[in-house]
Amino acid sequence: MIEVKNVNKSFGDQHVLKDVSAFFEPGKINMIIGRSGSGKTVLLKSIIGLVKPETGDIFFNEREFIRANIKFKREIRKEIGMVFQGGALFTSQTVEDNIMFPLNLFTNLTKKEKLNRVNFCLDRVNIQNANKQFPSEISGGMQKRVAIARAIALNPKYLFCDEPNSGLDPQTAIMIDQLIHNITVEYNMTTIVNTHDMNSVMEIADSIIFIYEGHKWWQGGREDIFNSENDELNDFVFASELCKKIKKTNP
Amino acid sequence: MKLLSVIGQYLVLMSAVFTKPVRARIFIKRVFEEIEQIGMDSIWIVSIVSVFMGAVLTLQVAINFTSPVIPQYLIGLSARDTFILEFSSTIICLILAGKVGSNIASEIGTMRITEQIDALEIMGVNSANYLILPKITAALISFPILNLLSIILGIFGGYLIATATDVVSIYDYIYGLNYMFVPFYVTYSLIKICVFSIIITSVSSFHGYYTFGGALEVGKSSTKAVVYSIILVLLFNLILTQLLLT
Ligand SMILES: Nc1ncnc2c1ncn2[C@@H]1O[C@H](COP(=O)(O)OP(=O)(O)OP(=O)(O)O)[C@@H](O)[C@H]1O
Ligand SMILES: [Mg+2]
Repeated sequence: MIEVKNVNKSFGDQHVLKDVSAFFEPGKINMIIGRSGSGKTVLLKSIIGLVKPETGDIFFNEREFIRANIKFKREIRKEIGMVFQGGALFTSQTVEDNIMFPLNLFTNLTKKEKLNRVNFCLDRVNIQNANKQFPSEISGGMQKRVAIARAIALNPKYLFCDEPNSGLDPQTAIMIDQLIHNITVEYNMTTIVNTHDMNSVMEIADSIIFIYEGHKWWQGGREDIFNSENDELNDFVFASELCKKIKKTNP
Repeated sequence: MKLLSVIGQYLVLMSAVFTKPVRARIFIKRVFEEIEQIGMDSIWIVSIVSVFMGAVLTLQVAINFTSPVIPQYLIGLSARDTFILEFSSTIICLILAGKVGSNIASEIGTMRITEQIDALEIMGVNSANYLILPKITAALISFPILNLLSIILGIFGGYLIATATDVVSIYDYIYGLNYMFVPFYVTYSLIKICVFSIIITSVSSFHGYYTFGGALEVGKSSTKAVVYSIILVLLFNLILTQLLLT
């Protein structure tokens, strides 16, 4: 469970997050949607402490995070898995070593057990026979999936995904969505996913937050989104003329 | 004012760097990787520069020492002392600042802009310690070896000139090498190169670590790393010489 209270963040005179409060439950897929540049990534990074908000509090299961000292932060971060928008794989290491990395640092497993875990994670994201390749040698979509495999290597309590399926073909995208959904339910993780892909939202979202120009503009479930009277949300969800027509004819 | 805040930022980073690594085994493995990159890969350039400079220095000194009142063995002595006192520590470090410094800054800078450092932090890893401490340690191990190598090869370069030409006899050259040898000069040289190795690796890491933006900024960081490393090496050369030799 993650609680965000009154978070404000500016870069220079650009006020990016405006008094955002939210509540993310375990075992559920919490989605943050919004247009490009609305502040989704900044919000995610504020929650995990990569960006330091000017005001506000973040709680991980009642544990205050923003003002905690770095040692305590590192303890909490060992429970976090994060998939960055750009993947952020270690370019100097092979696919296998990338996923092995957190296992080497934080577990006492034997070499064989670690390798089994690596292959298990790779299998879940549907990657085979790429263990010895470097990130630069595999496709962008594969890099994304390896990043997901790395994020789940340690069975995190909290999973953060910044646009996990952008740049993937529709089939792989759905597979990734299902994967995120399954592990979230299976391990009762608190999962937060940034996306502007409405397919993902329809596929797996349990609770949705719509960010508009740095405000938390709307919040609700998957079904509520189509019946909402919120203009900005409707503009976002029914962006194309086709969608708008469909909505008009099926009120 | 700006300078003070940069120094403060540097010290904060170093306080994160000099902490106990999470896993000793991983740290040692990282140190060996870095020794290969920082030390082994620099052997050839240090060797080439030392041999050639040893040869040229001996030649030039010999040409200038033509007066019959100056004993010929001073040529060997001057080659020896130039290398031990100044060349194999300071000049070699200026070259290494260019080679190793830019390499470190661009490597860490690229990791910063591609969010690899953020990824480390999110795993609960102290990224400064994980990335930078092995580099500093590796330099502290390999630079003194490069220093000794350079001294030996520089003197060897002079020996080659003594054999190949008749500007100085081999006998005089070798006699000069042994004449009035001050062992402390070698200690002084090693102390200097240890300080310089810390300067080059930490300053370059600092510039890489605080890169923000894109590929262009990585290039800028790498240039800054080299320039500031060189300036600081020269400055500390002066300070250490003042402290140790006078
Ligand atoms: N480090 C930074 N320095 C200055 N401005 C920043 C920084 N990071 C983000 N911003 C600004 O904050 C705003 C929100 O950016 P953010 O990355 O959160 O958008 P986003 O919603 O994730 O967009 P996208 O869907 O394209 O990823 C943008 O206007 C961006 O310019
Ligand atoms: Mg984003």
